[in-house]
Amino acid sequence: MKDIFTQRTLENGINLFIHSTDKFKTNTFCIFIHQNLRKETATRTALLPFVLKRGTKSFTTSRHLSLYLENLYGADMGGDILKRGESQILQFFMETVNQKYVAGEDIIDSSLKAFKELVLNPVEEDGGFKQVYVEQEKDVLRRNIESLYNDKFNYAIERCFQEMCRDEAFSIYKYGHIEDLETINKYNLYEYYLDCLRHCPIDFFVLGDIDADRISDKIGELFNFSRGGEKLVKTSFVRKEINGERIVEEKQDVNQGKLSMGFRTNTRYGDEDYYALMVYNGILGGGPHSKLFQNVREKASLAYYAFSKLEKTKGLMLISCGIEFKNFERAVGIIKEQLEDIKAGKISDYEFDSTVKSLINTLKETADSPSMIISMYLDGIINGVRESTDDMIKKIQDVTIEDVKKVARKIHLDTVFFLNKK
Amino acid sequence: MDVFLGEKLFSNRSKNGLMTYVLPKKDFNKVFAMYSTHYGSIDSEFIVPDTGEHLKVPEGIAHFLEHKMFEMEYGNVFDKFAELGASSNAFTNYTNTTYLFSATSSFEQNLNLLLEFVETPYFTEESVEKEKGIITQELKMYEDEPEWQVLLNLLRCLYHHHPVRIDIGGTVESIQKIDVDTLYKCYNTFYHPSNMVLFVTGCIEPAEVFELVEKHESRKETGTQPPIERIYPEEPDSIKDPASTVRLDVAEPLFLIGFKDGDVGYDGFKLLKKEICTGILMEVLFGKSSVLYERLYEEGLIDDRFSFSYEGQKDYGFCTIGGETRDPERLHKEILESIHRSRERGVAEEDFVRVKKKFLGDFIQGFNSIEFIATSFVSYYHKKIDIFDYMKALNEITFEDVSGRLKTFFDFSKHAVSTVMPK
Repeated sequence: MKDIFTQRTLENGINLFIHSTDKFKTNTFCIFIHQNLRKETATRTALLPFVLKRGTKSFTTSRHLSLYLENLYGADMGGDILKRGESQILQFFMETVNQKYVAGEDIIDSSLKAFKELVLNPVEEDGGFKQVYVEQEKDVLRRNIESLYNDKFNYAIERCFQEMCRDEAFSIYKYGHIEDLETINKYNLYEYYLDCLRHCPIDFFVLGDIDADRISDKIGELFNFSRGGEKLVKTSFVRKEINGERIVEEKQDVNQGKLSMGFRTNTRYGDEDYYALMVYNGILGGGPHSKLFQNVREKASLAYYAFSKLEKTKGLMLISCGIEFKNFERAVGIIKEQLEDIKAGKISDYEFDSTVKSLINTLKETADSPSMIISMYLDGIINGVRESTDDMIKKIQDVTIEDVKKVARKIHLDTVFFLNKK
Repeated sequence: MDVFLGEKLFSNRSKNGLMTYVLPKKDFNKVFAMYSTHYGSIDSEFIVPDTGEHLKVPEGIAHFLEHKMFEMEYGNVFDKFAELGASSNAFTNYTNTTYLFSATSSFEQNLNLLLEFVETPYFTEESVEKEKGIITQELKMYEDEPEWQVLLNLLRCLYHHHPVRIDIGGTVESIQKIDVDTLYKCYNTFYHPSNMVLFVTGCIEPAEVFELVEKHESRKETGTQPPIERIYPEEPDSIKDPASTVRLDVAEPLFLIGFKDGDVGYDGFKLLKKEICTGILMEVLFGKSSVLYERLYEEGLIDDRFSFSYEGQKDYGFCTIGGETRDPERLHKEILESIHRSRERGVAEEDFVRVKKKFLGDFIQGFNSIEFIATSFVSYYHKKIDIFDYMKALNEITFEDVSGRLKTFFDFSKHAVSTVMPK
């Protein structure tokens, strides 16, 4: 395979991935700190980017940081949380404009200085984070968790996964749980962060119009802090026996019913038949050519949106659509027919070919966006797969209808979640 | 031909008046094309050019028409794009309707298909009736989106009559009145080449695009059309209502404050400058580097989802500021007081200089994305603005411009607030 990133390892074990290209107008820097998704630590991990954004030793407030970054032609810098399977990832990112378009100081040097400050030099107060920042950000995080309730579309998806995986770590929300906030203080959070920096696997990505050796030296200089041995972060995958599907209904004062259906695919990224699963998902609900769009929306006029998507690390699939409350049973019926049809190989040439082409199109498009390039590569690292988009395209092209029928037999409906009216 | 950030823009006018623009991006994998008409939800009253008939059409028809354009005699156009491995889509906003595709292969066929389907109306009674079910679900989805509701209610407060106060998709009741005949009348009025623009970007040669478009367009018999007479109701300077509050099933209140712009009635470069100038002003007053933002954040009145924007069109303009908050009343008071103080003290020149740098950087960053380039190009084009003039406009904006705008724009008698409260 052609690897677009060259990999180096800093002395402290941080993996550095560099892709030198002049295709984009910006330079992108990303740091990923991998942690196991656990009830005990999830809320702490989630709170970290919020607290760290509040200030550093040299830029003691968020406002100072913003003033500095705006002067660097509005460099974007921040942090967030990702969830992949049962791993929780603390992400920091920075994007700066290419020096050649603007006058003045060295943008990479100046912005990396702030980036290092953000990640490694938080404001300290007697051996912990700054008290007032931690308390304010606990409140911000609490509101952030609560606000999922305002977003009925994502709420119905998240709730379906929660119900389905209620005995597994995957049910933990990426921003953690409100009840765990009270156990966090400036000392234990700080201690926890130092522990993450020392022991969690860290990947550092650089993509842009840069000299690989020079940037590698620079990052080595700034980020080679001392660390301990790395621990293993695993994205556990549970094969679960399902004894019939479970229906969960929740009532809110809403205007549209939201139907989510959660499935175990028993296949994940890295398995031989994962590419067949991608094709399966595409045929079922991966766009306007799919069975769900054609049958739930176009033929039955039941919904405006109806799609399916894969969680490729945990081995799950989710179907989502917004419907009239009274059409719940009809929609579930039509959806189940589609699943049975694929299982029986009732797949038209049009559905199959369009799916393959659409998957290839999407894969090729990733090369046109810095964040997509990095995200795809990160998924590979998380799942222990090293392959280029060309490798993936080849494997998708090799998938046959028989393969799709075979992978369909491994897919089982686990939970149906319906957000109904009061 | 314009050159900007190392990018070149090529253009061509077809005999029927259609303008085509191409911005090649050789090292990109995909081609992204937009075919757009200057026709949006606010164009609900007009004179039909052929007959001189004065027509007032049901609310939401531009969006309904967009949905129905995907239907051809042979079936659905989505299917054809899918067969070609492309993804296609469309959107309608207040002022324009845009059809698009994105593809990494078969560029010529995709481009031909885009031209073909947008130029071929095919509506049947049966399919129009069926679409009502789908769009009803789309409207219901928006009814449950508090962020959309809070904005809609704000616009209903700011405007007495202007159709910007009406939901782009119309209402469940208004769309029931849509029929085949009216759809054709709207189509024939607004989908004339002289009212449209084609923009193509990505790994494609301008000459190739122009040749294909010429070949395609020369087969069409489209006579010339005089400028379309659009009728907008007389809109007073004042606002309609000072406040709106609704209750939805949300966790925390949502709050939005808006100011109605009295300085309207022009488009082109002057509008571009006003937009950027207002944007800089708002960034200075409410942005993450502002004293106000810092204080509101520390007091727990806002979080980092607090946002603000200015929307400037030829005939209307307004800004919005707000987000989720535990105390809408206090946030309202704090924002007004802060604007009042700024007006007394004025803007600091160093803030202006710094934010201007940020605007330059943000614009350059936008050019990473061909979707951003295409979307901005098209929306500016309909306002008679050349996107390549952005840098020039930004450079020309002075500290005095921004200070002057501060004095005139935030007229307290022309502001309204909209709140969504938990049930």
